[in-house]
Amino acid sequence: MSRIIPPEIAPYESLIDDILRAGSAKADEVEVYLEAGRSLSLELKQAVVGEASIAEVWGIGIRVITDGRIGSSSTMSPGRWEACLDAAVASARLADRQDWDGLPSPAPLAACDEPYDPAVIPDVALAQDLIARTLAGAEGAEADVIGGSASLSSGAGAIANSHGIFYSHRGTNAGVSLEMINGTSTGYEYDSKARLGDIDPEEVGKKAAFFADFWAGADDVPSAEADVVFAPTALASLLSAIFFPALSGRNVHAGRSYFAGKLGEACLDPALHVIDDPHHGDHATPWDDDGVVTRPLELVRDGTVAGFAYDLKTAYRYGAKTTGNAVRGGAGGAPGIGFHNLTVEGPAGGVDDGRAVICHGLIGAHTANTITGDFSVELSNASYVEDGEYTAPIRSAMLGGNLFAMLADIAGTSEETRTVGRITLPSVRFNNLHIIGK
Amino acid sequence: MRFAEPRYYDIRALEGSGTQIEIDNGVIESAGSAFSDTAVIRALGEKGWGTVVVDNFSALGDAAVRRKVDEALTLARATGEDVALAEVTSSVLPVPSVAEDPRNVSLEEKTEILLGIERAAALDGIVNTRARYIETAATIRFENSEGTAFAYEIVRSGYSVLAVAGRDGQMQMGRESEHGITGLNIRHKEAKGREAAERALLLLDARPARGGKMTAILDPELGGVFAHEAIGHASEGDLVKEGASVVKDKIGCAIGSPVLNVTDDPTMPEFGFMPVDDEGTAVQRTEIIRNGVLDNFLHDRQTLAAVGGGIAGHARAQGGYPPVVRMSNTFIENGDATLEELLEACGDGILLKGSRGGQVDPGRGVFQFNAEYGFLVEGGEMTAMVRDVSLSGDILTTLHNITMVAGDRTMSQGYCGKAGQSVPVSDGSPHLLLEHAVIGGGQS
Repeated sequence: MSRIIPPEIAPYESLIDDILRAGSAKADEVEVYLEAGRSLSLELKQAVVGEASIAEVWGIGIRVITDGRIGSSSTMSPGRWEACLDAAVASARLADRQDWDGLPSPAPLAACDEPYDPAVIPDVALAQDLIARTLAGAEGAEADVIGGSASLSSGAGAIANSHGIFYSHRGTNAGVSLEMINGTSTGYEYDSKARLGDIDPEEVGKKAAFFADFWAGADDVPSAEADVVFAPTALASLLSAIFFPALSGRNVHAGRSYFAGKLGEACLDPALHVIDDPHHGDHATPWDDDGVVTRPLELVRDGTVAGFAYDLKTAYRYGAKTTGNAVRGGAGGAPGIGFHNLTVEGPAGGVDDGRAVICHGLIGAHTANTITGDFSVELSNASYVEDGEYTAPIRSAMLGGNLFAMLADIAGTSEETRTVGRITLPSVRFNNLHIIGK
Repeated sequence: MRFAEPRYYDIRALEGSGTQIEIDNGVIESAGSAFSDTAVIRALGEKGWGTVVVDNFSALGDAAVRRKVDEALTLARATGEDVALAEVTSSVLPVPSVAEDPRNVSLEEKTEILLGIERAAALDGIVNTRARYIETAATIRFENSEGTAFAYEIVRSGYSVLAVAGRDGQMQMGRESEHGITGLNIRHKEAKGREAAERALLLLDARPARGGKMTAILDPELGGVFAHEAIGHASEGDLVKEGASVVKDKIGCAIGSPVLNVTDDPTMPEFGFMPVDDEGTAVQRTEIIRNGVLDNFLHDRQTLAAVGGGIAGHARAQGGYPPVVRMSNTFIENGDATLEELLEACGDGILLKGSRGGQVDPGRGVFQFNAEYGFLVEGGEMTAMVRDVSLSGDILTTLHNITMVAGDRTMSQGYCGKAGQSVPVSDGSPHLLLEHAVIGGGQS
């Protein structure tokens, strides 16, 4: 297999080979994961730039497997790879033995988006332009800017193992954010994409201003039964805390998931579909962080639990097949089960019908009971809407419920979707929820 | 090394190792170490900050470091904020000695001890147990253009244990954790594993809390989260400076009831201890609220110069990030009441215990946090156990509603996230009586 190696990785090609060779003498199998990149960010302090930063990130993670015992270590220093390899070998001695059928060998890769844009350069002038465009979007607002940022990053990653895999890829990211305040009404908006042309700084400015200004006139509301529309940003925070971890094969087999024992069970809204597509989107990759070839994974089909996500280690342990869902947080961490580009679809329409409460953010989504799905959060930028028109902004209210019960009875979803992190989802309406007012 | 050109620069390097052991349902999933070597170089140009973060820093020679300072200065030219730095004293406290240095205990032995804690949680009815040990050893080296230079080493370690109870499709969890800086703390902690398991089992029979406005008692752990989320964040000088804090113009004002005293103390030998802050400023105990009056903001050098009304020495950074104003060990001071007196004064209400974390919007002045569990209080007596109970409110009204403070403060440890960075902190409180509390729960 020919190697086309990004310039960030090329200087370390022989280092990777050295580690694989030395590691093969000390362990049954060796894997090297390398990450190198450069990012620039400008931070707004009120409406002026107060800090300009460059970060140069470099790291390798080494994983060794001997007789079903897995060990790993990482370092930020190329010169210390031998100590890092020794630490990985020592850690493998301590780990319990598990069923293990080997790291992957080279395999044909599927056609796949490359989340890379040569226009994303960690360049000060480009970042200044993004800042100016974001602030321009907020022009005319009553609210003041309290902070914000523009960031541009470009980097590359590689994974290689002792069975001959050597995959590498490039990646970029461009992002802006803006935070505003009008009295004690705060507004926050952001956008972050792999390609420069995909972010909309003016819209970020406009939205942050709208959130701060419109909610400056907010009133308290009494407790009430209400139909609640979760904007993508609000729902994504609950799904990330509760729903997606429950679809991890590891949590399922360990007895920590609501979906344990529910594979094939129709326990969700019959119109709910959830798919993880590793080949299309800003986190597209033809291989996962175990070096396994990726493929689309259907998690929920017509409200039925259709599949769980696996990495190599969990799959071998429980006699399942890896779904190519190994994800790392960076070179410093061992791979774990994660997702690539998730898409959530529900019953179409109905979101804007009649009277409802729309909510754009939740405070405290991470405090939910991640196993049962019970949560209680404070709403952020919530407002009464009539046929889709914002009428009365709500100053403060709490909402409690059970996410799994809600997902079994979805009232409607919007046509428009938004990508929040790795999740693309519409606004979703749930009827008859209880709001605790003041 | 000393360079002439920027009006100020500093270099903060972190070199160290992290050790982690993870056990899941009796299986040692991983046990090993990883290595860090990173530095943050900041320079002040005519206006604001230029910052360069470099991994593999120890491999750089003097000339390369000089180039990084120049690069930071070049970046600084892209800024437009007028930055002044307050004059501060620099000194470094001794790092408290450790009873048993965790680095002298083999990974094998630590793994065996952790297994003991995890096994203790495997009671009948428990479907999953998990335990984790985390140890970080870091040497911090700092120097700035004013001639301040120091190095120190600090070792942090601790564990957590989680138990999940299951019955008839219902699941509940219990969790215990302890982290510190005074040495290995995992020996003879099997009881903590059992506690987590027993609580998870009890929660299977607990009913969901009924939401609404009521009188609440907060236990020391949840009271600590309250001190951190509802008071600490809003008093951070950077938020005050940018206009993002609801208490920004409240120094000298009574923002809470006269029984309320809140302190942030980086000198306390707790998980949030630091011998000196991450800009080289001497640390000191900072009284945020005294008898209900807002006395001090937490500051770094820039925010002290810009805002005043507080104490510098609260700049903190995760390795590889520039410092920002952060809390360290934050707590509500002891009062003179007892828990029994609080229960009696509560009458009918709720006692909230433990924490699943919290969050605050300091600009709006709204906070939310979740208790692990609670008990109904009826006629001054604790009765039925309840689950999934949360508390939210407005900072400025809630602080006036703390009407009684007990004298039984304890501290809990955790990590606090801000500006994309996570730093070790502790927080604590005695039992508190909170009137007109807005309680959320699964049922209404």
